[in-house]
Amino acid sequence: MSYSDKVIDHYNHPRNVGSMDKASTDVGTGLVGAPECGDVMKLQIKVNRETNVIEDAKFKTFGCGSAIASSSLATEWVKGKTVDEALAIKNMDIVKELSLPPVKIHCSVLAEDAIRAAIGDWKKKQEATTPVAAEAK
Amino acid sequence: MRAAHFCESCGKVQPPVPVDYFSFFGLPPRLSLDVAALEKSFYELSRKLHPDLNARAGSQEQEWSLEQSSLLNDAYRTLRDPIKRTEYLLHLEGVLLEEQSKSATEQARATGELKKQIVPPDLLEEVFELNLHLEELRMNKKMGDDDPALFEEIGKAKLSLEAKHEALLRELQTYWKEWDGLIDRGPDASTTDRQRVSGKLVDVLNRRNYIRNLVRDVNAAMEN
Ligand code: FES
Repeated sequence: MSYSDKVIDHYNHPRNVGSMDKASTDVGTGLVGAPECGDVMKLQIKVNRETNVIEDAKFKTFGCGSAIASSSLATEWVKGKTVDEALAIKNMDIVKELSLPPVKIHCSVLAEDAIRAAIGDWKKKQEATTPVAAEAK
Repeated sequence: MRAAHFCESCGKVQPPVPVDYFSFFGLPPRLSLDVAALEKSFYELSRKLHPDLNARAGSQEQEWSLEQSSLLNDAYRTLRDPIKRTEYLLHLEGVLLEEQSKSATEQARATGELKKQIVPPDLLEEVFELNLHLEELRMNKKMGDDDPALFEEIGKAKLSLEAKHEALLRELQTYWKEWDGLIDRGPDASTTDRQRVSGKLVDVLNRRNYIRNLVRDVNAAMEN
Protein backbone atom coordinates (compact mmCIF):
# COMPACT_ATOMS: atom_id res chain seq x y z
CA MET A 1 0.00 0.00 0.00
CA SER A 2 1.36 3.39 -0.84
CA TYR A 3 0.60 6.54 1.06
CA SER A 4 -0.68 9.63 -0.72
CA ASP A 5 1.57 12.69 -1.00
CA LYS A 6 -0.55 14.52 1.54
CA VAL A 7 -0.19 11.75 4.09
CA ILE A 8 3.55 11.69 3.55
CA ASP A 9 3.76 15.44 3.92
CA HIS A 10 1.86 15.41 7.23
CA TYR A 11 3.88 12.44 8.37
CA ASN A 12 7.22 14.09 7.65
CA HIS A 13 6.14 17.53 8.81
CA PRO A 14 3.39 16.99 11.34
CA ARG A 15 1.71 20.23 12.32
CA ASN A 16 0.97 21.14 15.91
CA VAL A 17 2.69 18.29 17.67
CA GLY A 18 2.85 18.89 21.37
CA SER A 19 0.77 19.19 24.47
CA MET A 20 -1.01 21.76 26.57
CA ASP A 21 -1.78 22.00 30.23
CA LYS A 22 -4.39 19.37 30.85
CA ALA A 23 -5.54 21.06 34.03
CA SER A 24 -6.31 24.42 32.47
CA THR A 25 -10.03 25.19 32.23
CA ASP A 26 -9.61 26.53 28.69
CA VAL A 27 -8.11 23.28 27.48
CA GLY A 28 -10.00 20.21 26.40
CA THR A 29 -8.19 16.90 26.11
CA GLY A 30 -9.24 13.88 24.09
CA LEU A 31 -7.38 10.63 24.48
CA VAL A 32 -8.70 7.90 22.23
CA GLY A 33 -7.65 4.55 20.89
CA ALA A 34 -8.39 2.41 17.88
CA PRO A 35 -9.23 -1.08 19.03
CA GLU A 36 -8.51 -2.47 15.58
CA CYS A 37 -4.79 -1.82 15.80
CA GLY A 38 -4.08 -0.66 19.33
CA ASP A 39 -2.96 2.82 18.37
CA VAL A 40 -3.46 5.85 20.61
CA MET A 41 -4.02 9.51 19.87
CA LYS A 42 -4.19 12.55 22.10
CA LEU A 43 -5.66 15.78 20.81
CA GLN A 44 -5.97 18.97 22.81
CA ILE A 45 -7.74 22.22 22.07
CA LYS A 46 -7.60 25.63 23.67
CA VAL A 47 -10.89 27.48 23.47
CA ASN A 48 -11.65 31.15 23.87
CA ARG A 49 -14.38 31.33 26.46
CA GLU A 50 -16.00 34.45 25.04
CA THR A 51 -16.20 33.40 21.42
CA ASN A 52 -16.07 29.60 21.67
CA VAL A 53 -13.39 29.71 19.01
CA ILE A 54 -10.65 27.10 19.12
CA GLU A 55 -7.49 29.17 19.27
CA ASP A 56 -4.94 26.46 19.42
CA ALA A 57 -4.72 22.71 18.97
CA LYS A 58 -2.01 20.17 19.66
CA PHE A 59 -1.72 16.45 19.15
CA LYS A 60 0.46 13.50 19.85
CA THR A 61 -0.21 10.22 18.13
CA PHE A 62 1.41 6.85 18.53
CA GLY A 63 0.23 4.97 15.53
CA CYS A 64 0.44 4.48 11.82
CA GLY A 65 1.24 7.14 9.24
CA SER A 66 -2.41 7.63 8.39
CA ALA A 67 -3.31 8.20 12.01
CA ILE A 68 -0.53 10.75 12.38
CA ALA A 69 -1.59 12.51 9.19
CA SER A 70 -5.27 12.43 10.20
CA SER A 71 -4.61 13.98 13.58
CA SER A 72 -2.19 16.52 12.17
CA LEU A 73 -4.83 17.56 9.65
CA ALA A 74 -7.50 17.59 12.35
CA THR A 75 -5.55 20.10 14.43
CA GLU A 76 -5.14 22.30 11.37
CA TRP A 77 -8.82 22.15 10.61
CA VAL A 78 -10.17 22.84 14.08
CA LYS A 79 -8.01 25.90 14.61
CA GLY A 80 -10.03 29.06 14.07
CA LYS A 81 -13.32 27.16 14.10
CA THR A 82 -15.92 27.47 16.80
CA VAL A 83 -16.56 24.41 18.88
CA ASP A 84 -19.79 23.72 17.02
CA GLU A 85 -18.13 24.07 13.65
CA ALA A 86 -15.42 21.66 14.72
CA LEU A 87 -18.03 19.11 15.71
CA ALA A 88 -19.20 19.07 12.10
CA ILE A 89 -15.91 17.57 10.90
CA LYS A 90 -16.51 14.02 9.75
CA ASN A 91 -14.00 11.26 9.35
CA MET A 92 -14.92 10.95 5.68
CA ASP A 93 -13.79 14.56 5.14
CA ILE A 94 -10.38 13.48 6.35
CA VAL A 95 -10.45 10.35 4.20
CA LYS A 96 -11.14 12.50 1.16
CA GLU A 97 -8.55 15.13 1.90
CA LEU A 98 -5.82 12.56 2.51
CA SER A 99 -7.04 9.99 -0.05
CA LEU A 100 -6.96 7.24 2.54
CA PRO A 101 -7.62 3.71 1.27
CA PRO A 102 -10.48 1.69 2.82
CA VAL A 103 -8.20 -0.21 5.22
CA LYS A 104 -7.12 3.11 6.71
CA ILE A 105 -10.57 4.50 7.36
CA HIS A 106 -10.41 3.58 11.02
CA CYS A 107 -7.41 5.88 11.38
CA SER A 108 -9.57 8.81 10.35
CA VAL A 109 -12.31 7.64 12.69
CA LEU A 110 -9.77 7.91 15.45
CA ALA A 111 -9.15 11.56 14.57
CA GLU A 112 -12.85 12.39 14.60
CA ASP A 113 -13.19 10.62 17.94
CA ALA A 114 -10.29 12.66 19.29
CA ILE A 115 -11.87 15.96 18.26
CA ARG A 116 -15.16 14.95 19.84
CA ALA A 117 -13.52 13.73 23.01
CA ALA A 118 -11.49 16.94 23.37
CA ILE A 119 -14.56 19.11 22.89
CA GLY A 120 -16.54 16.92 25.27
CA ASP A 121 -13.84 17.31 27.90
CA TRP A 122 -13.78 21.08 27.44
CA LYS A 123 -17.58 21.32 27.71
CA LYS A 124 -17.55 19.32 30.89
CA LYS A 125 -15.05 21.73 32.37
CA GLN A 126 -17.19 24.70 31.42
CA GLU A 127 -20.22 23.22 33.14
CA ALA A 128 -18.16 22.49 36.20
CA THR A 129 -16.61 25.94 36.41
CA THR A 130 -19.73 28.04 35.84
CA PRO A 131 -22.23 26.68 38.31
CA VAL A 132 -23.07 30.19 39.49
CA ALA A 133 -24.03 31.39 36.05
CA ALA A 134 -26.13 28.31 35.51
CA GLU A 135 -27.95 28.75 38.77
CA ALA A 136 -28.59 32.42 38.16
CA LYS A 137 -30.70 31.63 35.13
CA MET B 1 -20.31 -34.65 12.16
CA ARG B 2 -17.39 -34.26 9.87
CA ALA B 3 -18.23 -32.65 6.55
CA ALA B 4 -18.18 -35.26 3.85
CA HIS B 5 -14.74 -34.87 2.36
CA PHE B 6 -14.74 -38.37 0.94
CA CYS B 7 -17.25 -40.56 -0.84
CA GLU B 8 -18.77 -42.96 1.63
CA SER B 9 -18.61 -45.98 -0.61
CA CYS B 10 -15.51 -45.49 -2.74
CA GLY B 11 -13.51 -43.19 -0.43
CA LYS B 12 -12.64 -40.74 -3.18
CA VAL B 13 -12.20 -37.04 -2.51
CA GLN B 14 -15.38 -35.08 -2.93
CA PRO B 15 -15.83 -31.52 -4.13
CA PRO B 16 -15.51 -29.06 -1.23
CA VAL B 17 -18.80 -27.88 0.18
CA PRO B 18 -18.86 -24.46 1.75
CA VAL B 19 -18.61 -25.07 5.48
CA ASP B 20 -17.14 -23.20 8.37
CA TYR B 21 -13.77 -24.28 9.74
CA PHE B 22 -15.24 -25.98 12.78
CA SER B 23 -17.53 -28.12 10.68
CA PHE B 24 -14.66 -28.89 8.35
CA PHE B 25 -13.10 -30.79 11.23
CA GLY B 26 -16.46 -32.12 12.34
CA LEU B 27 -16.34 -30.01 15.48
CA PRO B 28 -19.02 -28.00 17.21
CA PRO B 29 -18.22 -24.26 17.39
CA ARG B 30 -16.75 -24.48 20.86
CA LEU B 31 -13.82 -22.32 21.87
CA SER B 32 -12.09 -24.56 24.36
CA LEU B 33 -10.51 -26.88 21.91
CA ASP B 34 -8.20 -29.83 22.24
CA VAL B 35 -5.34 -28.60 20.09
CA ALA B 36 -3.52 -31.94 20.17
CA ALA B 37 -6.57 -33.73 18.83
CA LEU B 38 -7.00 -31.03 16.21
CA GLU B 39 -3.42 -31.50 15.11
CA LYS B 40 -3.88 -35.21 14.83
CA SER B 41 -6.96 -34.86 12.76
CA PHE B 42 -5.18 -32.28 10.61
CA TYR B 43 -2.35 -34.65 9.76
CA GLU B 44 -4.73 -37.47 9.09
CA LEU B 45 -6.86 -35.40 6.76
CA SER B 46 -3.95 -33.78 5.03
CA ARG B 47 -2.51 -37.16 4.17
CA LYS B 48 -5.79 -38.36 2.78
CA LEU B 49 -6.52 -35.19 0.89
CA HIS B 50 -3.06 -34.79 -0.54
CA PRO B 51 -3.41 -33.95 -4.25
CA ASP B 52 -0.52 -36.19 -5.29
CA LEU B 53 -2.18 -39.23 -3.82
CA ASN B 54 -5.45 -38.52 -5.45
CA ALA B 55 -5.74 -39.66 -9.00
CA ARG B 56 -4.24 -38.45 -12.23
CA ALA B 57 -2.82 -34.98 -12.56
CA GLY B 58 -5.28 -32.57 -14.05
CA SER B 59 -8.25 -34.72 -13.24
CA GLN B 60 -11.34 -33.40 -11.54
CA GLU B 61 -10.52 -35.33 -8.44
CA GLN B 62 -7.11 -33.81 -8.16
CA GLU B 63 -8.56 -30.36 -8.46
CA TRP B 64 -10.92 -31.12 -5.61
CA SER B 65 -8.04 -32.43 -3.53
CA LEU B 66 -6.20 -29.19 -4.09
CA GLU B 67 -9.16 -27.13 -3.02
CA GLN B 68 -9.87 -29.29 -0.01
CA SER B 69 -6.22 -29.24 1.05
CA SER B 70 -6.01 -25.50 0.98
CA LEU B 71 -9.26 -25.24 2.92
CA LEU B 72 -7.82 -27.68 5.41
CA ASN B 73 -4.69 -25.59 5.85
CA ASP B 74 -6.65 -22.40 6.41
CA ALA B 75 -8.98 -24.10 8.85
CA TYR B 76 -6.14 -25.61 10.83
CA ARG B 77 -4.10 -22.45 11.01
CA THR B 78 -7.11 -20.49 12.19
CA LEU B 79 -8.41 -22.92 14.77
CA ARG B 80 -5.15 -23.88 16.43
CA ASP B 81 -4.43 -20.28 17.41
CA PRO B 82 -6.49 -19.16 20.41
CA ILE B 83 -6.85 -15.57 19.25
CA LYS B 84 -7.52 -16.36 15.60
CA ARG B 85 -10.02 -18.98 16.66
CA THR B 86 -11.89 -16.47 18.80
CA GLU B 87 -11.82 -13.86 16.06
CA TYR B 88 -13.06 -16.39 13.58
CA LEU B 89 -15.92 -17.40 15.81
CA LEU B 90 -16.92 -13.77 16.19
CA HIS B 91 -16.80 -13.43 12.44
CA LEU B 92 -19.16 -16.41 12.19
CA GLU B 93 -21.42 -14.71 14.69
CA GLY B 94 -21.59 -11.73 12.38
CA VAL B 95 -19.57 -9.42 14.60
CA LEU B 96 -17.66 -6.97 12.43
CA LEU B 97 -14.78 -5.81 14.58
CA GLU B 98 -13.87 -3.05 12.16
CA GLU B 99 -17.41 -1.74 11.84
CA GLN B 100 -18.04 -1.48 15.55
CA SER B 101 -15.92 1.54 16.21
CA LYS B 102 -17.12 3.30 13.10
CA SER B 103 -20.77 2.89 13.86
CA ALA B 104 -20.21 4.04 17.44
CA THR B 105 -18.64 7.20 16.04
CA GLU B 106 -21.60 7.71 13.74
CA GLN B 107 -23.91 7.37 16.66
CA ALA B 108 -21.93 9.91 18.66
CA ARG B 109 -22.11 12.27 15.73
CA ALA B 110 -25.86 11.90 15.41
CA THR B 111 -26.72 12.17 19.09
CA GLY B 112 -24.03 14.59 20.21
CA GLU B 113 -23.24 12.24 23.06
CA LEU B 114 -19.73 11.19 23.82
CA LYS B 115 -18.63 7.97 22.25
CA LYS B 116 -17.95 5.31 24.76
CA GLN B 117 -14.35 4.32 24.34
CA ILE B 118 -14.05 0.59 23.98
CA VAL B 119 -10.79 0.62 25.84
CA PRO B 120 -10.96 1.85 29.43
CA PRO B 121 -9.50 5.36 29.94
CA ASP B 122 -6.89 4.34 32.49
CA LEU B 123 -5.49 1.75 30.11
CA LEU B 124 -5.32 4.40 27.39
CA GLU B 125 -3.43 6.68 29.78
CA GLU B 126 -1.01 3.92 30.58
CA VAL B 127 -0.46 3.11 26.93
CA PHE B 128 0.13 6.74 26.15
CA GLU B 129 2.58 7.28 28.99
CA LEU B 130 4.60 4.24 28.12
CA ASN B 131 4.76 5.31 24.51
CA LEU B 132 6.19 8.63 25.64
CA HIS B 133 8.86 6.83 27.63
CA LEU B 134 9.68 4.64 24.68
CA GLU B 135 10.06 7.64 22.47
CA GLU B 136 12.44 9.15 24.99
CA LEU B 137 14.43 5.95 25.07
CA ARG B 138 14.73 5.89 21.30
CA MET B 139 15.78 9.50 21.26
CA ASN B 140 18.42 8.88 23.90
CA LYS B 141 19.82 6.04 21.90
CA LYS B 142 20.03 8.15 18.82
CA MET B 143 21.98 10.77 20.70
CA GLY B 144 24.22 8.11 22.17
CA ASP B 145 22.94 8.86 25.66
CA ASP B 146 22.28 6.28 28.25
CA ASP B 147 19.63 6.70 30.86
CA PRO B 148 19.71 3.64 33.10
CA ALA B 149 16.80 4.87 35.22
CA LEU B 150 14.57 5.17 32.17
CA PHE B 151 15.68 1.80 30.92
CA GLU B 152 14.87 0.24 34.24
CA GLU B 153 11.47 1.86 34.36
CA ILE B 154 10.61 0.55 30.93
CA GLY B 155 11.83 -2.87 31.93
CA LYS B 156 9.43 -2.81 34.86
CA ALA B 157 6.62 -1.69 32.63
CA LYS B 158 7.40 -4.56 30.33
CA LEU B 159 7.01 -7.07 33.13
CA SER B 160 3.72 -5.60 34.20
CA LEU B 161 2.52 -5.67 30.61
CA GLU B 162 3.39 -9.28 30.22
CA ALA B 163 1.51 -10.06 33.40
CA LYS B 164 -1.48 -8.15 32.03
CA HIS B 165 -1.29 -10.09 28.82
CA GLU B 166 -1.36 -13.36 30.71
CA ALA B 167 -4.30 -12.17 32.76
CA LEU B 168 -6.19 -11.24 29.63
CA LEU B 169 -5.67 -14.67 28.15
CA ARG B 170 -7.06 -16.18 31.32
CA GLU B 171 -10.00 -13.81 31.18
CA LEU B 172 -10.54 -14.82 27.58
CA GLN B 173 -10.71 -18.44 28.64
CA THR B 174 -13.42 -17.78 31.19
CA TYR B 175 -15.55 -16.32 28.41
CA TRP B 176 -14.71 -19.28 26.21
CA LYS B 177 -16.27 -21.45 28.89
CA GLU B 178 -19.36 -19.28 28.97
CA TRP B 179 -19.60 -19.51 25.22
CA ASP B 180 -19.12 -23.27 25.20
CA GLY B 181 -21.82 -23.55 27.81
CA LEU B 182 -24.19 -21.86 25.38
CA ILE B 183 -23.19 -24.18 22.57
CA ASP B 184 -23.72 -27.20 24.79
CA ARG B 185 -27.18 -25.95 25.66
CA GLY B 186 -27.92 -26.03 21.95
CA PRO B 187 -30.96 -24.22 20.59
CA ASP B 188 -32.02 -23.30 24.13
CA ALA B 189 -29.41 -20.58 24.28
CA SER B 190 -30.99 -17.32 23.25
CA THR B 191 -29.61 -14.79 20.79
CA THR B 192 -29.30 -12.30 23.62
CA ASP B 193 -27.07 -14.71 25.51
CA ARG B 194 -24.89 -15.21 22.48
CA GLN B 195 -24.60 -11.50 21.93
CA ARG B 196 -23.76 -10.88 25.54
CA VAL B 197 -20.92 -13.39 25.53
CA SER B 198 -19.62 -12.38 22.11
CA GLY B 199 -19.58 -8.77 23.32
CA LYS B 200 -17.34 -9.81 26.19
CA LEU B 201 -15.06 -11.70 23.85
CA VAL B 202 -14.74 -8.62 21.66
CA ASP B 203 -13.94 -6.53 24.68
CA VAL B 204 -11.11 -8.80 25.81
CA LEU B 205 -9.67 -9.00 22.30
CA ASN B 206 -9.62 -5.24 22.03
CA ARG B 207 -7.82 -4.75 25.30
CA ARG B 208 -5.38 -7.44 24.32
CA ASN B 209 -4.57 -5.62 21.09
CA TYR B 210 -3.27 -2.65 23.00
CA ILE B 211 -1.18 -4.73 25.29
CA ARG B 212 0.20 -6.87 22.49
CA ASN B 213 1.28 -3.84 20.46
CA LEU B 214 2.93 -2.32 23.49
CA VAL B 215 4.86 -5.45 24.33
CA ARG B 216 6.05 -5.56 20.74
CA ASP B 217 7.14 -1.90 20.80
CA VAL B 218 8.81 -2.24 24.17
CA ASN B 219 10.80 -5.21 23.00
CA ALA B 220 11.84 -3.42 19.83
CA ALA B 221 12.88 -0.28 21.70
CA MET B 222 14.86 -2.17 24.30
CA GLU B 223 16.68 -4.37 21.85
CA ASN B 224 18.20 -1.97 19.40
S1 FES C 1 -3.52 1.51 11.67
FE1 FES C 1 -4.24 2.08 13.58
S2 FES C 1 -4.74 4.11 13.45
FE2 FES C 1 -3.97 3.58 11.54
